[in-house]
Amino acid sequence: MSFRHLRAVIRPEINHILRDRTTFVLVMLVPTAMLFIMAYALTVDIKHVPIAVLDYDRSPTSRAFIQQVTEGEDLDLYAQVDSLDDIDNLLTRGEIKAALIIAPDFEHDLLSLRGIPLQIIVDGTEPKSGGFAVDHIGGRAEEFISEALASRIRALNVNVSLDSLQPIDLRVRALYNPSLKPRVDIIPGLISMVLGFPALSVALTLAHEREHGTLEQVLVTPVGRAEFLLGKMIPYIIVGLANVIIMPAIARVTFHIPFNGSFPLFFLLSAVFLFAILSMGMLVGVFMPTQPAALALSFLVIFFPGFFMTGIFFPIASMPAEMRMEAMSLPGTHYATITRGVFLPGVGLDVLWPNVLALLGMGIVFTAVAALSFRKKLG
Amino acid sequence: MFKRIWSLAAKEFLHLLHDWWMPSFMLFGGVIELLAVGWATSRPMTNLPLMVLDQDRSAASRAIVTALENTGTFAFEAQASNMATIQDALDRSKVNAAVIIPPGFDSKLASPTGRPSLAVLLNGAESTPATAALRAVTGAVREMGQRIALRRLGLDADEFAGFDASLRVWFNEALNEAFYTTPAELGLMLEFTTLLFAALSFSRERELGTLEQLLVMPFSSLEIIIGKSIPTILVAFSDFVLMLGAVHFVFGIPVRGSLILLLALAFGYLLVELSKGLVISVVSRSQHQAFLLVMMVGMTDFMFTGYAAPVESMPRVMQIVANVVPAHHWLTILRGILLKGAGLDVLWPNILALAVLGLVIGTFSLRYVRRALD
Repeated sequence: MSFRHLRAVIRPEINHILRDRTTFVLVMLVPTAMLFIMAYALTVDIKHVPIAVLDYDRSPTSRAFIQQVTEGEDLDLYAQVDSLDDIDNLLTRGEIKAALIIAPDFEHDLLSLRGIPLQIIVDGTEPKSGGFAVDHIGGRAEEFISEALASRIRALNVNVSLDSLQPIDLRVRALYNPSLKPRVDIIPGLISMVLGFPALSVALTLAHEREHGTLEQVLVTPVGRAEFLLGKMIPYIIVGLANVIIMPAIARVTFHIPFNGSFPLFFLLSAVFLFAILSMGMLVGVFMPTQPAALALSFLVIFFPGFFMTGIFFPIASMPAEMRMEAMSLPGTHYATITRGVFLPGVGLDVLWPNVLALLGMGIVFTAVAALSFRKKLG
Repeated sequence: MFKRIWSLAAKEFLHLLHDWWMPSFMLFGGVIELLAVGWATSRPMTNLPLMVLDQDRSAASRAIVTALENTGTFAFEAQASNMATIQDALDRSKVNAAVIIPPGFDSKLASPTGRPSLAVLLNGAESTPATAALRAVTGAVREMGQRIALRRLGLDADEFAGFDASLRVWFNEALNEAFYTTPAELGLMLEFTTLLFAALSFSRERELGTLEQLLVMPFSSLEIIIGKSIPTILVAFSDFVLMLGAVHFVFGIPVRGSLILLLALAFGYLLVELSKGLVISVVSRSQHQAFLLVMMVGMTDFMFTGYAAPVESMPRVMQIVANVVPAHHWLTILRGILLKGAGLDVLWPNILALAVLGLVIGTFSLRYVRRALD
C-alpha cells in the first residue's frame, strides 16, 4: 500500500464532496440534525395528561382525593363524567388518556382501612401518557392511604409508629443518571445510530461509480483495491469525526448530558467505529449494482438494525437468543456500549477493550471481503 | 392521453424489473423489518441481570431475592462478596441492578417496630431497563411490606382488599407492547418507503442523464408525473397491505374498525407523501441528495407522530405545528381504526385535516414539479 496512491484517491473524492456544495452540507448536517431532532423528542417531559373522573362516591373524601390528584401540571381534569359510556367515548376520541373511577364505598373503605376501591382505565394505545397517569394517581393514592393509616393508628391507640407500617426502608439509587431520565443514556446511544449515515453515503458513492461506469477506469490505474476502498472511506471518516466533535458539544450544552470520560479516547474510539461501519457501507456498495439497490440494502443492514437492535431503546439482555447474537454482530451495539460508557460512568479502555477489538475485527473483515469481491464483481 | 400515460408507466415497470432491488426492498423489506423490529421490541423487559450482596443470609433475605426473581423482570446473575464487585459490574454494565441486604435484616423485620433498610443500586447508564427494574423492585418490596404491616396492625388479611388501585387497560387489555409499537412502525414504514421511492424518481433520471430524453418526448409534464407516480403508488400500497397482514397475523394486532376505510385512508395518505417525495425529487440534483433530504423530512415528521413523545406534552408551538404534519393525523387515524375501532364519526377531524393538507401539498407539488420539468 502506498501513501501516494491513497492520496490520489482521497484528493478527487474530497474535491468531489466539496464541489457539490448541497450534498456536502447535507452529509455534514444530517447526522447532527437527526441527533438533535430525536434528542428533542426525548426531552419532552410528560405533563398535562388529560383525564376524566367518574365519582360514584361523591363524598368529601373522594372530592378531596380528586382535588389532590389533579393538582399541579401533571394531570389535567378534562371532564367529570356520569357513566362508563362517557369514558369510552372520550377515550375513543383520544380526548383523554386515562380515567379514574371512584367506587361508591370509597370513603367508607378507606377510613376503615379495608382498601382503596379505585379503578384506573388507561388508553393502551398510548402507554407513555397512560403509564404516567397510573404512576401519578398511584403516588397520590399512597399519600392518601398514609394519612388514613395515621388517623387509624391514633384512634386505635396502639404502640406502632407510621414508619413501622412501611417495614422495609427501600433506598434506591441510580448510578450515573440519578433521576433515570431516558435522554441521559439514549442521546449518547443515538450517536451510534446517526453515525451510520456516513456509511450510507459511502455505499451510495461506490454504487454511483458503478452506475456511471467510472469504476472500470480506476482499475486500469496502478491504485490497488484496498487503497482505492480506503481512499473512498477516509473522507467520510473525516466527515464523521467532525460530527463526533459537534455531537457531544450539543449533548452537553443543549441537553445537559454529562460527559465524564476522556474526550481524546472517545474521539479515537469513534474513529474505530467509523472504520467498522464505513467498511460495512463499502461492502454494501461493492455488492449492489445501482444506488437504489445500495440504499435498500443499507436500510436493511445498517439503518434499521442500528436503531432498534443495538440496545439503545431495548435491552439486549431481554432479546431472544438469536437476536442477541445478531445484535452482538452489529458495530452499533459495541459503539453504543462505548458511548454510554464514556459519557456516563466515564470508563476507559480497561473496560471497553472487548468492544474495541470487536469493532476493529469487523472493520478489517468487512474491508477485506469488500476488496476481495471487488474485482470479481467487476470482472 | 391514457395510452401515453400507460406507455410511460409500462416503461417504469420495465425499469423496476431490471433494477429489482428497490421494489423488492419496498415490498418485502418493510415486512421483514417490521417483523424483526416487532420481535425485538414488543416484548416485556425480562432477564435483566441482577447482582445480590446478601450480608444477612437469612430466611427473610432469601425471601426478598425470590420475590424479585418472581417478578419475571430479573435473572439472577451472581452473588457479590463486597461493594467493589458491585460497583465494577455496574461500571461495566454487566448488571442492571444490584440489591444489598444489610446484616440484621431478618431480625429487625421480625420485631414489631423494626425497619431494616434495603439498598438497591440501578445502572442509570441504561435507563429503560433501570426504570423497569425500579418498578419491579418497588412493587415486590411494597407487597412484602404490606403483608408485614397488616400483621403488625393486627388487621385481618381476608377483610383487606389491598391498597392498590385496580387497573384496566382499554383497547389493549393484555397490555401488549406490540399494540403500541407496531402500528406506529407500520405507519412510519409507509411514509418512508413512499417518500424514498418518489424522491428517487426524477433525481435518478436527472443524475443518469435520461431526464432530457424523457422531456423531449411528446409527453406533457402532467403525463410524465402521472406515469412516474403509478409504479410508486402500486408498490407502496401493496407494501402497506403486506405489512398490515404481517402485523395482524404475526403480532395479533386487531383491525377493530372498518378495513375498507383504513385502506382508503392509507391510499389517500400515500398520495400526500408521494406529492412531498416528488418535490424532493425535482429539488435534488442527485440520488444521494434526495436520500438525505428524505431522511431530514421523514425524521422531522417522526417527532410529531407521538411515537417518541406524546404531542400534547410538547410546547404549545409544537402542538400547533403538529396539526400541519400529515403523519401526525395519519398515525391518529391508524391507531384509531386498528385498536379503538373508531369510525368516520370520531376520526373526521383528522381525515378532514389530512384532506386539506393533501390538497394544499398536492397542488403545490403538481405546480412546482411541472414548472421544474418544463
